[in-house]
Amino acid sequence: MQKPTKKIVIVGGGTAGWITAGWLAAHHRTYDATSRVEVLLVESPNTPTIGVGEGTWPTMRNSLIKMGISETDFIRECDATFKQGAKFAKWVDGTQDDFYYHPLVLPQGFTQQDLAPYWSSQQKQTSLSADKHSFSNAVCFQESVCEQGLAPKTIRTAEYSDVANYAYHLDAGKFTDFLKRHCIEKLGVTYVSADVVAVNAHANGDIASLTTHVDNMPNGDISGDLFVDCTGFSSLLLGKHYQVPFIDCSDVLFIDTALAVHVPYDDADSPIASHTISTAQDAGWIWDIGLQHRRGVGYVYASKYTNEAAAMQALADYIGPKFTSLKVRKIPIHSGHRETFWHKNCVAVGLSAGFLEPLEASAIVLIELSAQMISEQLPANREVMDIVANRFNQTFRYRWDRIIDFLKLHYVLSQRDDTDFWKDNRDPATIPDSLKDLLKIWQHRAPADMDFTSNNEVFPAASYQYVLYGMGFETDFSMTPHMLNDWHTAHKQFAKNEHLIERALASLPTNRELINKIHQYGFNDL
Amino acid sequence: MSNLVQLNLANHRHLQLEPQQCAQHGAELNLIPVVMSEFRQLVTQYPILLTKNGDTGAFTFVAMLGFAKGENLFWRDHQWHSIYLPLQIRRQPFFVGAKDAATGEHPLCIDMDSPSISQAPNAVALYSDSGEESDYLLEAKQNLAQLLQGEADNSDFILLLQELKLLQSLSVEIEFEHAAPTRLNGLYTIDEKQFNNLSDAQLLRLHRTHFFEPIYMMIASLGQIYSLIDLKNKRSGTDHDD
Repeated sequence: MQKPTKKIVIVGGGTAGWITAGWLAAHHRTYDATSRVEVLLVESPNTPTIGVGEGTWPTMRNSLIKMGISETDFIRECDATFKQGAKFAKWVDGTQDDFYYHPLVLPQGFTQQDLAPYWSSQQKQTSLSADKHSFSNAVCFQESVCEQGLAPKTIRTAEYSDVANYAYHLDAGKFTDFLKRHCIEKLGVTYVSADVVAVNAHANGDIASLTTHVDNMPNGDISGDLFVDCTGFSSLLLGKHYQVPFIDCSDVLFIDTALAVHVPYDDADSPIASHTISTAQDAGWIWDIGLQHRRGVGYVYASKYTNEAAAMQALADYIGPKFTSLKVRKIPIHSGHRETFWHKNCVAVGLSAGFLEPLEASAIVLIELSAQMISEQLPANREVMDIVANRFNQTFRYRWDRIIDFLKLHYVLSQRDDTDFWKDNRDPATIPDSLKDLLKIWQHRAPADMDFTSNNEVFPAASYQYVLYGMGFETDFSMTPHMLNDWHTAHKQFAKNEHLIERALASLPTNRELINKIHQYGFNDL
Repeated sequence: MSNLVQLNLANHRHLQLEPQQCAQHGAELNLIPVVMSEFRQLVTQYPILLTKNGDTGAFTFVAMLGFAKGENLFWRDHQWHSIYLPLQIRRQPFFVGAKDAATGEHPLCIDMDSPSISQAPNAVALYSDSGEESDYLLEAKQNLAQLLQGEADNSDFILLLQELKLLQSLSVEIEFEHAAPTRLNGLYTIDEKQFNNLSDAQLLRLHRTHFFEPIYMMIASLGQIYSLIDLKNKRSGTDHDD
C-alpha cells in the first residue's frame, strides 16, 4: 500500500482532460527530468468532444498563468474574448426592459461595508424613477462598462492584469487544441491516441491498467497509479466501470435539452458583447456568447414544458432570419452528478463527474477546481489516497450542492407566471432546504460572507446579492437597523462608484477594439 | 495642431525661425519621449523612465517633466529652464516624412503652424541668400538623424530589457509641501533586484551590446524625482497659478 503515486493516466482529451493534464504537469513539473510524476493522456481518435463549454470564470486566468501560457497567445489562438459577467434578460417579469447584471467586480468597498441596506433604503425613499438605480449599477461600475460593450482593460494593461475583473469566452474546440499543443510541447505530457477498450483491475479493486486498441488492433496496456476519468457523459471509468451512482437533480433544475448553434457576425467589425447574455424563454433560457468570429447561441429548455419544434421556433425568433442557414446541434442534459467523484484510484473531472445547465458557467470552473485540488493534494502513495479521495468527495459534493442552490435561486426569485415552467420552479417542493434557509435569513439582512464560511465556496456572498437584488428580492432591514449606521461612508462609496463609472467609460476601448489590438500588438507581461 | 509640409528651397527660401520658441511645444507635457543616446545628458536633470504607448501598449522611454498631466515643471515664465533640452523639443519644428517610394529617402518636413516660425529681428534663416542650407538647418537635420537612429536603438534596448525581465512598474506615493499627494501610475523602471541577479553571461552580453551603461543611468536618474519634487514645492510656494 506504500506504492507511490508516480504515473497519472488521464482518459479523454476534451476541455476537462487537457485542463487537468496542464494543471498536473505544471504543478509537478513533468517537463523537468527530475520530476517524479508522469502525466499521460489517452484519447480516442473516434470520440468527438462535446465542446459547447465556452464561458469561463476569472479563475481561468490563474489556470493559464499556472500552465505558463501567454494571455496574448491564448486570445489570438482560441477565438477568445473578455467576459465581465452575465446579463439576465426577462428573468424577473418577462417584460421588454426587464434585465439585471451579475458582474464580476465586487460591490464597491464590499470588504469594508455592505452597501445593500443603504441602496435598499435609498430606493424606498425616492419616488422619482430617474433617481432609481439598479443594485448592480449603484454599487458596481461594471454594468455600465458592459452596457457600452467596453473591454475590462486596455492594451497598456499587462497580461492577466485588469481594470475590471474578467473571465473569458472561448472556442472550446480551439482551446482544447491549444492546450493539447502546449501540454505536449511545453509541459512534457505524454500523449497516446487510442481507444480504451477494457479496464483491468488489481485484486483490491483499483484500476491496474487500460487495454487500448488502434484501428481495432491491440495497442498494449497503459498502467498507472491514478486514473482521471475525463470521458465526458460516457463516464467510462467512474460510471461504467465502477458503477458509482448518479444523483439526478432534475427535480430541482428542470432543464434537460440544449439546442446549440454558431451564429456568424454580420461583418468583421461587429461589436462583441463583453458579457454572457441569458434571455429567459417560456421553458428555459437562451445563452448568447460573443467570440471573435462568431457567436455561440443556444436554447436550454425543459422538454416537459415545451417540444423541440417550439424550442426551435423560439431560437429562430431570437436569432432572426440568419437562423435558417445554421446547423443546430441537439444535446441532452442530465442534470446531476455522481454520488462520489473519487473512487479507489480513479477520479472523475468534467462531464463524467456531472453536469448542470450552463446558467452560471459552472462547468469549466469545476474542472479547474478539480484539477487544482488533484494537483495540490496528489496523494504521495496508495496508503493515503483513500483519505485524499474522501476529502475530495466532501469538497466537491459541497460545491455541487452550492451551485445547485445558486442556479435554483435564479428561478425561485422570478415573478414570471406566464408558463408552468416558471410557476413550477417556485414550488417549495422543488427548492433545496439549504436554499430555503438562506432565503429566510435574507428576509431581514443581506447575504454576507459569514453565510458562506467554507474554504470551498464557489460563489461569494456578493454574487447572491447581485442576483437577489437584481431580481427585486426585498429584504426588510427594519429588524436589523445596525446595518444602516454609517451613511457617511456609504455616500462616499456610492460617489466613488459613480466616479469609477465615469473614468471607465472615458478610458476603456470596446471589446472588439481591444481584441484587434491584441492581434496587432499583443500585451506586455508587466 | 500641426501642419506638416515638405521642406524645399523653392517654397521656404525666406523662412525664418526663432529657436527659443520651439520649447513651447513641450510647455504642457509632463512626459516627453527620449532616446538612449541622450541619456547621459538627461540624467543630469530628468528621471528617465518608461511608459506605454496608448495605442499599441508598447514600451517607450520618456523623461519625466512633471507629476500631473499637463505639468512641465521646467516651464516657467514662457521658457524652458534646464541645462539640457530633450532632442524631441530641439527637433521642432522639423519632422521626418514617410519614405519616398522613388528615392528611398525620408523627406524633411516642417510644421508651418509652429510658434517658432517668426519674422522677429533675432530670427534665424533656414537658407542663406545664395540658397545654401544654414548651420541651423544642418543641425536640425542631425537632430532628426539622431532621433531616427535613437528610435531603432530604443527598440533593441527595450526588447533586451523585456527578455531579461529587467523592467518593473514604478509605484510611488509622492507628497508635496503645498499640493495634494499624488501616486505615480503607468510608469516603469529598472528592476534592480533582477538586475543584480543577472548571470555573468547576461552581464557580459549587456556590456558587449552597450546596454549596461544606459541601465545604470536610468537607475541613477530616479534620484531626479527629488529634484522634480523640489521644483514643484518651490513653484507652489511662490505662485499659485496651478
